[in-house]
Amino acid sequence: MLRLLWLVPAIPLASALALAVLRLSQKTVAWLGTCSITASSVISLLVSISFLNAPPASGAYTQILWRWFDVNGLRPEIALYLDPLSLVMMVVVAFVSFLIHLYSTEFMSGDDGYGRFFAYMNLFVGCMLTLVLANNLLLLYLGWEGVGLCSYLLIGFWYRDPANGRAGRKAFIVTRAGDTAMVIGLFLLFHDLGTLNIQDLMHRAVLQWPIGSSGALAAAFLLLSGAVGKSAQLPLQTWLPDAMAGPTPVSALIHAATMVTAGVYLIARTHTLYSLAPQAQFAAAVIGAATLLMAGFSALTQHDLKRVLAYSTISQIGYMFLALGVGAWPAAIFHFMTHAFFKALLFLGAGIVIESLGGEHDIFRMGGLRQKLPVTFWTFLVAGCSLAGLPLITAGAFSKGWIVWGAYSAANGSAELWVVALAGVFLTALYTFRMIFLVFFGQQNSQVTRKPGPAMVIPCLILAFLSIAGGYIRTPFASYLSTVLAWNPGITRSPSFGEMFSEAIVALVFFLGLCLAYVFFLRRRDYSTVLASSPAGSVLHRFWFSDWGMDWLYDHLFVRPVVWIAKVGKGDPIDGFYAGVGRLNEIAWRGLSLSQSGRLRWYAAAVAAGTIVLIGVVIFS
Amino acid sequence: MGCVHVISLLPLLIIAATSVVVLLAIAVRRNHAAAFGLTLAGLAAGICSTFFTPPNQATQLLLMDRYAFFFMGLLMAASLFIALLSYGYLAAREARREEFYVLLLVATLGAMTLTASSHFTSLFLGIEILSVALYGLIAYLRDRSLPLEAGIKYLVLAGSSSAFLAFGIALVYADLGVLDFATVAQRISSTQSGSALGLLIPGTVLILVGVGFKLALAPFHMWTPDVYEGAPAPVTAFVATVSKGGMFALLLRYFSLSGADRSPRLLLVLSIIAIASMLAGNLLALFSTNIKRILAYSSIAHMGYLLVAAEVSSRLGVGAGAFYLVAYFVMILGALGVVTLLSSGERDADRFEDYRGLFWRRPVLALIFTAMLLSLAGIPLTAGFLAKFYLVAAGADSHAWLLIFVLVVTSTIGLFYYLRVVGVMFHQPASERLVPEPLPRRTPAVSVVLVALSAFLIWFGVFPSPLLRLIQFAIGKIF
Repeated sequence: MLRLLWLVPAIPLASALALAVLRLSQKTVAWLGTCSITASSVISLLVSISFLNAPPASGAYTQILWRWFDVNGLRPEIALYLDPLSLVMMVVVAFVSFLIHLYSTEFMSGDDGYGRFFAYMNLFVGCMLTLVLANNLLLLYLGWEGVGLCSYLLIGFWYRDPANGRAGRKAFIVTRAGDTAMVIGLFLLFHDLGTLNIQDLMHRAVLQWPIGSSGALAAAFLLLSGAVGKSAQLPLQTWLPDAMAGPTPVSALIHAATMVTAGVYLIARTHTLYSLAPQAQFAAAVIGAATLLMAGFSALTQHDLKRVLAYSTISQIGYMFLALGVGAWPAAIFHFMTHAFFKALLFLGAGIVIESLGGEHDIFRMGGLRQKLPVTFWTFLVAGCSLAGLPLITAGAFSKGWIVWGAYSAANGSAELWVVALAGVFLTALYTFRMIFLVFFGQQNSQVTRKPGPAMVIPCLILAFLSIAGGYIRTPFASYLSTVLAWNPGITRSPSFGEMFSEAIVALVFFLGLCLAYVFFLRRRDYSTVLASSPAGSVLHRFWFSDWGMDWLYDHLFVRPVVWIAKVGKGDPIDGFYAGVGRLNEIAWRGLSLSQSGRLRWYAAAVAAGTIVLIGVVIFS
Repeated sequence: MGCVHVISLLPLLIIAATSVVVLLAIAVRRNHAAAFGLTLAGLAAGICSTFFTPPNQATQLLLMDRYAFFFMGLLMAASLFIALLSYGYLAAREARREEFYVLLLVATLGAMTLTASSHFTSLFLGIEILSVALYGLIAYLRDRSLPLEAGIKYLVLAGSSSAFLAFGIALVYADLGVLDFATVAQRISSTQSGSALGLLIPGTVLILVGVGFKLALAPFHMWTPDVYEGAPAPVTAFVATVSKGGMFALLLRYFSLSGADRSPRLLLVLSIIAIASMLAGNLLALFSTNIKRILAYSSIAHMGYLLVAAEVSSRLGVGAGAFYLVAYFVMILGALGVVTLLSSGERDADRFEDYRGLFWRRPVLALIFTAMLLSLAGIPLTAGFLAKFYLVAAGADSHAWLLIFVLVVTSTIGLFYYLRVVGVMFHQPASERLVPEPLPRRTPAVSVVLVALSAFLIWFGVFPSPLLRLIQFAIGKIF
């Protein structure tokens, strides 16, 4: 059964090709596009079951498909690597993709680019699975760039609006900054360690690099930069809110559940390297902590439903980075999984809400949708509670509580990080319930024009179930992953007093956030307006609303200088030289063309003259 | 001359006999298909015969070695393709079609004679057989003004250049008293200061004028665009390939025999001609808006590139030259095949307007043409790239840096006009109104030719080793 592994990425890639090349009716497209992902996720489940029942002796299964090329010691193989870590990623990616494809069949119906949409989405799934299953960093990078490409294509999916194209380009260029660092990191690893196979790489790194050596540090920091770009962390997070220009299923799949967590996966995959470079690991923790706070504040001020969710995604991935940074590896992966469920569900719910209101994005113009869209309301509520961390019941509470505890107790944990993580919990509860109260409670401000059909509702129900049930597997999950992700002693201990205490505080903070949200956004809306319009409040509001002025800063720091240089350099002497070369050629053409007069006597004369010149040359030379 | 010699002349005999048979068949009964079929059969038989005919020196005039057989096979294959192109073309235009094939065969025979000649007499004979048939071919569409004009221009200029050639041969003979290549070549390289009468080197230059005219090398190139434009498209393909290929094979053989590279004065003349051709060809084509003229200019430039190989004339150089010639045959035949296919009954499709938005009307055809043009420009994965690559490698091996420099620079200039044509083809018509005239009906023979040529183009560009081995085998003897 394990041998079928290659089909998991191959089927979506093949169907992407088919969808791109063939001209099919909308029905066939939906059928083909969804069935391929279904097949892929079923196979991934079968493979997982057989892997769990009879794990290979080495703890991992490698499937070598073929050798890509062989140049000077670089022999990257097209090979897949399945171990508990990639297994979790594979199953979650395949399964969530399947649900979102199902949702899309209805969501996108009637769109001109229906076939194009499914082709891109299938391509994305294929690339993401390649990324997750790759056994060497080169293949992983292929998947990495592939998902980046799909992200670009899908953000700008409705390309007739130039703003969408701009958002796509922004995402592409900003992540490119991180990708470039990552490529340099790959060069460095290959140069110093002589391979790109991830497992060999980790073995050799341990043998060759002492802890804190400059090689390990440089490589770890460069890979971290790539991860930061892809996962929209500080300082490269600015692209993700704009990426919401794409269709909502895209936001759910690519910009919430799967692709943006690729950075988390990369760091977890190479965690041995990070244990050799403690400074880089600590940097990841600090980045995560700062990002989760900043994005949390920004989420508090947004009007656009999808932008709230986008900032929330940035903030939650910040949690994952924090967990990676402190060394609570399994907590990060666990949070990735629960986040994939509830954030995908939130986006799918948001998609239904926006569609049913005829494209309304502003949460202040929504309200009272509880009665009109009951199923959506309940699933959205479940996902929201999971995101905010309603204790004991929801999956999000289990994963987040784990990270918060890890922030204190894990190898690199500290009290400061614990406080930051707690503050994040508070912010999450606040902005989540602000959103829920504004959208579903209060009085109704707009008309519901369209009700979701079964293809949109069923995925929501399944995800809602997972958003709750997913949390209960924490203990087996942790022990299972322990074979790959080395334990940090701090968090293996059985529920200790410290952990119970931390969980209790998290619960308390959650309720505090909930109550505040209730007061400010449901009970007494005027309080929040007063707060936001006070001098200090309005400044802060504007500051947070604009993502801490990061866009403004980058615009002035990078974009404008480059544009300025390009403008100044337009008429430079080098350009002038090349224009001159062109002009020279044109003049030569004009001159020579005169000789092609079409007159026979002139031609004959030219032959004679040429002969005389050549004879002259031989005689006088 | 014994039986062995006669047998080794088999390819020439077959083509000569075929031309006579076609002529007789016409006398009995005019039938286009029959003449066409006989021609194809003769050419195919000729090609086959090159594989098993025993090499021999047949008289003093003709050296039938593997080198000659290789190029004869190439020329006959090209003629075969041209005959296939011509069938549909003639059927749509001309009432008396059958003689075309006689002329085609005779011209091919002349070019084949050149590849085997080892003596100035057979050189002159070959050129004249080729030229006289070509006059008729170029002006074959008698009732149109352009072909007639082209025919007369070619007649006058080729005639006068033959006079130069004959005069040059006379001077060489006056000086040396011999006319076979081996002796002449040896004398040229051994006598630095000239010979008894000092006529040897000027005589050789005059011979070069005759040869240069046939190859359309600058400054004897001026007839090319007018003749290319005026001649019927298949004949243009013939002038560009068979007529030049035979001449070039001779040139390569002569230089590899003679070591003209060791005579610095001749070397200088050759360099001047090569550089002038590369520059003139590429520059003249830049803003031209007539496809046939662009191909004419491009062929001037390509002959300039080929001259680099002739000048190097090491084993590497001759191999590179032969490879280049094969690649050049493929891409020029392909390009002119597309022109033939698109030509309407009234005129040949040589204006840019005929190609505007071709991709949106006939995508496959446009892609084939694009491939041919990119190959002419020397883009990788095509035969043209590898050909140029080997040429540069051979040049670098012999330290011909100036020539290589000019080659590279002019190739870059060349990219401009090839891509311009490609751009025109991909230009999307503004609206649906632009379907100028119904395209001529498809002719299966031409499609087969084009597909085969495209396959060759990619094959030689991606997997050249079989062809390289064949060439090494063919030139093995002359070193």
